[in-house]
Amino acid sequence: MLSVQDLSIRFRTPDGYVHAVNDVSFDIAAGQKLAIVGESGSGKSQIALSILGLLAKNAETRGRILFENQNLLDMPTSRINKVRSKEISIIFQDPMSSLNPYMTVERQLNEVLELHEGLRGRAARARVLEALDAVQIPDAKNRLKSYPHEFSGGMRQRIVIAMALLCRPKLILADEPTTALDVTVQAQIMRLLDDIQKEYGSSIMLITHDLGVVAGFCEETLVLYGGRVMERAETRAIFNAPSHPYTRGLLRAVPNIHAQDARLQSIPGQPPNQLHPPEGCPFADRCSDSRDPCFNNLPPLDAGRHQRACLRPVEELS
Amino acid sequence: MLNYSLRRMMAVIPTLFILIVICFFLMRLAPGGPFTSERPLPPAVMKNVLERYGLDEPLYVQLWTYIKNILFHFDFGPSFSQKDRTVNDLIAQGFPVTLTYGFFSAVFVLVLGIPLGVVAALRHNSFWDYVMTGLAIFSQIFPNFVLAPIMVLLFTLSWGLLPGGGWNGGQWPYVIMPAVALGTSYMASVARLTRGSLLETLSAPYIRTARAKGLPERTVLWRHALKPSLLPVISYMGPVFVYMITGSVFIDVFFSTGGIGQNFIDAAYTRDYSVILGLAILYSVLTFALTLMVDLVYAWIDPKVRSGLK
Repeated sequence: MLSVQDLSIRFRTPDGYVHAVNDVSFDIAAGQKLAIVGESGSGKSQIALSILGLLAKNAETRGRILFENQNLLDMPTSRINKVRSKEISIIFQDPMSSLNPYMTVERQLNEVLELHEGLRGRAARARVLEALDAVQIPDAKNRLKSYPHEFSGGMRQRIVIAMALLCRPKLILADEPTTALDVTVQAQIMRLLDDIQKEYGSSIMLITHDLGVVAGFCEETLVLYGGRVMERAETRAIFNAPSHPYTRGLLRAVPNIHAQDARLQSIPGQPPNQLHPPEGCPFADRCSDSRDPCFNNLPPLDAGRHQRACLRPVEELS
Repeated sequence: MLNYSLRRMMAVIPTLFILIVICFFLMRLAPGGPFTSERPLPPAVMKNVLERYGLDEPLYVQLWTYIKNILFHFDFGPSFSQKDRTVNDLIAQGFPVTLTYGFFSAVFVLVLGIPLGVVAALRHNSFWDYVMTGLAIFSQIFPNFVLAPIMVLLFTLSWGLLPGGGWNGGQWPYVIMPAVALGTSYMASVARLTRGSLLETLSAPYIRTARAKGLPERTVLWRHALKPSLLPVISYMGPVFVYMITGSVFIDVFFSTGGIGQNFIDAAYTRDYSVILGLAILYSVLTFALTLMVDLVYAWIDPKVRSGLK
């Protein structure tokens, strides 16, 4: 349904081009849940923004993003406006700032219905209530006229999710939907997303830096580093048999409740400078398994079900 | 909201009282008095005059009489320097003038300043942005006492389009130049304020949300961005509006409009105690009223402020 092909995104800055995303390809089938995992600066949010044409003005894109066989990157704003929220919706990271503080919750929700389905008045209200009920806002009927600041963070994120559901979109982009929330609320929101996905049948692209969030949620995981795909496989395979040194490093950084040694491991070093991306593997200078060729040659992504971009054979990794 | 407004209005009374007392004594601290002149009056005449205006009484009695007259008769006393005219007369005559050109000046400031700022923000870092910013800086460094003569030079003396002064009952050709000369630098400030604040709003995450809904840019601007961007403009315009409708001394003198700005200056020179006090009270009451209005508009726009008022 969505097919991202050789997507590259770079930003024009006074110091030169910042290469945020490089030759990223992936597909999302109808009803599928895909996770894009990476640390901050890996370009994962930019991918989501590029799908809806919401990149900053100084961005330049290459490649194609096909949605139902139409290239979203070529669409003029007037046409992509008909896709936004109607076919593909997005849930942003920080519910504290992504709702308009000067508008009632009802108005912010019903303007979506008014725009895409021409619904107003009682019909719109019924749909808004339906969405708010679906995300389990208690007493939604009496809270329609409330403003965002009258809700807690978790409730606001539920409202944002309700907003994303209104037109029953085919694809929901969830950009770190739980990062700004308490851990207990995180679990609730993830369970909610899961339930909703089952009920509405939408595909979900979940963007996160937290492998722990992905574990029980997505069938497939794509690991991004330095704007490139490092590894892509079924989530189970990523956890049970990670084949890329970076993925292994990430997994070691996830707290494990069963481990006796409570010290968390981290990956030493800094993410690559995207202004002057390294010639070889972007992870090479932080990688404990790198050899000379890694610094000069860009590793290609394998084909097949379990894809990896690494010059070293799996058997030889530490 | 009504409750809050009433509470605020009640608070005006003690503030006003303190203000009157301070002004009353401050004026009398200044050397001289309304009837001192280079050739002193004969003592007998002086005694009569002082008695006639109640100035021979102890100060606290004078203060009490003054406040009593305001409270019970709404009488701000006679002018000491202009015979047979009361402060009420002077204000009734001069205030409508300044109110008229001040009001149109404020309209000019908002109607031109806000759109200029919006255009500059939407065309951020483009040719039009630089034109607007240049224009804004240009008009801001032109104080009204430079702008007014230039305008008279052009519109009156060179082209003969507008009268160079006078009031004539406030017909529009007489209002234009005072209003524009008074407002231009404020208009520039409003344009710059609007531009900066709109740019900030447009980069807010909730604007990105609005775009992600598929709303056309026009709707994003009008429905989501404009109202919050105008908050700083509103708080700026409150005190500026008071200043405008109470008249600029320069505008009144230069264009001979006969507004109360002129009275302020005259009264200060002649130690016309009652006129100075009367105008100070008018100024304060207007300031109170406008500040309250700004706060109410704030509450109307910002629901957080509104729930704070309850």
